[in-house]
Amino acid sequence: MKIVLNGKEVAAKEGQTILEVARANGVNIPTLCYVPALDAAAMCRLCTVELTEGRRTKLVTSCNYPLRRDAEIQTDTDALRNGRRLLIELLAPRCPDSVKLQELAAEYGANLKRFPESNQDCVMCGLCARVCERVGGRTLTLSGRGVEIHVDTAFGRPSELCIGCGACAQICPVNKIQVVDEDGFRRVIVRGQEASRIPLNKCTSCGKFFGPVISLSQVMANLGEEKVPPPNQSVCPECSRHNLAIRMAQRHFEQYELAPHETVEEV
Amino acid sequence: MAQAISPANIDNIPTIKISSPRDLEEYRQALLAASDPNAPRIVVCCGTGCQATGSVEVVEALKAAVEEAGWEGKVIPSLKKTGCHGFCSRGPLVIIEPMDLFYQRVKGSDAAEIVNLTLMKGEVIKRLQYKPADAKEPVAKSHDIPYYAKQTRIVLENIGKIDPFEIKDALVHGAYKSLAKALTEMSPAQVIEEVSISKLRGRGGGGFPTGLKWESCAKQAGTRYVICNADEGDPGAFMDRSLLEGDPHRVLEGMALTGYALGSHRGYVYCRAEYPLAVRTLTNAIRQAEELGLLGENILGTGFDFKLTISTGAGAFVCGESSALMSSLEGKVGRPRPKYIRSVEKGFRDSPSNLNNVETFANVPMIVEKGGEWYKSIGTERSTGTKVFALTGNVYNIGLVEVPMGTSLREIVYGIGGGIPNKKELKAVQTGGPSGGCIPIPKKFLDINVGFGKLAEVGSMMGSGGMIVMDEDTCMVEVARYFINFLVEESCGQCTPCREGLIRMVEILTRITKGQGREGDIEALQEIGEFTNNFSLCGLGTSAANPVFSTIKYFREEYEAHIYDKKCPAGVCKPLFHYEIDAEACTGCGLCRMKCPAKAIAGEKKKPHAIDQSLCIKCMECYRNCKFKSIRIL
Ligand SMILES: Cc1cc2nc3c(=O)[nH]c(=O)nc-3n(C[C@H](O)[C@H](O)[C@H](O)COP(=O)(O)O)c2cc1C
Ligand code: SF4
Ligand code: FES
Repeated sequence: MKIVLNGKEVAAKEGQTILEVARANGVNIPTLCYVPALDAAAMCRLCTVELTEGRRTKLVTSCNYPLRRDAEIQTDTDALRNGRRLLIELLAPRCPDSVKLQELAAEYGANLKRFPESNQDCVMCGLCARVCERVGGRTLTLSGRGVEIHVDTAFGRPSELCIGCGACAQICPVNKIQVVDEDGFRRVIVRGQEASRIPLNKCTSCGKFFGPVISLSQVMANLGEEKVPPPNQSVCPECSRHNLAIRMAQRHFEQYELAPHETVEEV
Repeated sequence: MAQAISPANIDNIPTIKISSPRDLEEYRQALLAASDPNAPRIVVCCGTGCQATGSVEVVEALKAAVEEAGWEGKVIPSLKKTGCHGFCSRGPLVIIEPMDLFYQRVKGSDAAEIVNLTLMKGEVIKRLQYKPADAKEPVAKSHDIPYYAKQTRIVLENIGKIDPFEIKDALVHGAYKSLAKALTEMSPAQVIEEVSISKLRGRGGGGFPTGLKWESCAKQAGTRYVICNADEGDPGAFMDRSLLEGDPHRVLEGMALTGYALGSHRGYVYCRAEYPLAVRTLTNAIRQAEELGLLGENILGTGFDFKLTISTGAGAFVCGESSALMSSLEGKVGRPRPKYIRSVEKGFRDSPSNLNNVETFANVPMIVEKGGEWYKSIGTERSTGTKVFALTGNVYNIGLVEVPMGTSLREIVYGIGGGIPNKKELKAVQTGGPSGGCIPIPKKFLDINVGFGKLAEVGSMMGSGGMIVMDEDTCMVEVARYFINFLVEESCGQCTPCREGLIRMVEILTRITKGQGREGDIEALQEIGEFTNNFSLCGLGTSAANPVFSTIKYFREEYEAHIYDKKCPAGVCKPLFHYEIDAEACTGCGLCRMKCPAKAIAGEKKKPHAIDQSLCIKCMECYRNCKFKSIRIL
């Protein structure tokens, strides 16, 4: 398979995406809706590049286009730059304070004020919904269609499916999702609206609230990990670590036939 | 007193499990013997169009009238309900056989007369006959009506002849003959070969060569699926619906043949939920075919299984797009999937899936029966066979029209469509559904031959077969706005260009139609349109701007009149025109004065009238009604 990237021949494995090959070769292609950990959704279209396979030249999104035969790729033509510029101009009204969009605007010469603002605090990358599905919460989804599409819970009501993992907040490129632990509850707040409210565990050891009744094993199982120990539901991680240290120390000293009580106190 | 004679009846032939292709022929012969083509029969169109205008009531009334009449010594006429005859603008339609008498706009109250005069005495009821716009005499026989006579009905052949709820009637007309032939005489590869020779191209919009698609699907390993796209989301289109409602077995047989060719045993019909009659017809048809052993397990005792399931879609336009359709079929949200792997490799449930349109499947049985060479002889070199169009808009005869590919627009609009009503000029023909284009007619294109290539060449497309005729009173900017607005509402919204780009285009177009257009608007429309066409994820976005492109290309001066002169030359965009009465042409007949709902017209009898602009609401009444063309758009 002969792959020519911006005029230079590069190595590529069959099935690799154009974006992967480009990144491996230090060629930057802008993306908004792509993270390597999730299947590409190819929604933002920012990563569009020009591809020639055989005699046909077409525009494809690099984040999900698998290379399967000889190809020539251009990632930064005038036409592409122009398209990206307009894309940013069109998207900007949705999320005027996105730093990422501002950076991109500078790079592509986009006029962020070309179209009237309709602030939704969201660039519609869909990452939160996809990570939520992947992790197993299935709380956030894309609802509605057309210009009305938005991130929401089922029926727009606080969801019971949330496991409180906070992955959505982590992944949101515009920081519009917050996880707040307060009064014994964890709340996930998406663009100012409560998406879920789940009780936090109270540590039987120290009495403090800690992590939600999050089913760690569920998350792990969803990610395909096997043999994960069930999480401790009653003792907070801190006390849990503390107790473990004590138990280990006890066992250690028992081995050397030391009196546990005195020694543990010393430790 | 002589007894009434019951008509020969296929109902008397029992339903049996047919266990070999030869038995099917015998069964068919028995049915043929039991059905006398010369027996008197009243055929009532019960397609969705005619039902809407009251054909169910007509059927009931006719039934009662037949029962009441004394048929001493005569054969009691049978009553048959059929699918859509295609001439919906004249419905409810009734045809009296064997005379082939055509009655239109029949009401329940006409039933007694039809039975007592026409059937009993052979008298024709003039009032119910059809008279073409320019003709002096009505046309008696349905086959002589230009609307039908000028069509080539091969896909629609049985529609209007058979009772879609009675498989025996379909068998009388040759259903499942091709399946029997393929199962006994042809290998799967031969079936594909025949379809390849026929050069059949997909009727769902893309025009992809069907044989080629089948070939690539047949090559794949694993469970293969045959899926029928019956989503038909184009506004105004009803080709697929009519096929499913009028001749379901043709589509089912086409699917079974595809299954055989591809080595697939599982088929799905994805039908839009807004087509309840189609779903009912199909469900019944599948059940009847399974009872007879023509679908399901061990078809005709040959060991070939093909199980069919109907699935109803949520009715979103975008669900007709292949990857969205497959998602929806899997029970997920019907959004297009970003995949560069074709569905013939990995589609429904990640398995090889062959998706074809309803009309595409409907073409298959006759290709198998008569051969690819025969099929190819119809139409043009690169667009073979016929195409069914849904003809609508400013044309006399609105309805379904089937013509050979390559028929000229002139023949369709004037020959079959009967021309433009109200002595108006033809302005454009829009083809290809919401993302098609407008072909300007007076300029040069009346004689183009309608085919895949030619339509694309002039900036439109075949699409699934919508055809809207537009007269001089159509504003092309408004047309573009209408279609883009439709697509804005139907966009799934997941990808940026389609979601954000189309709405901006609508905003600009709306501004223009309101008289707030400005310098640079045309260029901005082109810029955004090019972007959405190039950068969108699915076919909806990548073709959405076509209506804008074609109207700017051919009717740029109309855009400019809106933007710079603040005028709508067609007199559609209300802020951009007013009516005036041409004093020289006005005879003072007073018709406009009487018609005007706003009482804005004044004038003495036989003297030129005038419009008070401050009262006029631009409702068009005067313009439409003036016999002397003296109302001017300014
Ligand atoms: C937005 C969109 C809507 C579509 N709607 C339909 C439809 O309603 N019916 C249909 O048969 N094809 C529709 N198509 C085309 C299908 O994606 C597909 O090409 C077709 O069903 C393939 O069948 P064919 O090869 O027999 O034409 C649509 C395509 C797009 C992009
Ligand atoms: S082009 Fe439009 S309909 Fe198609 S995926 Fe993008 S937003 Fe959805
Ligand atoms: S990063 Fe490829 S489409 Fe968004």
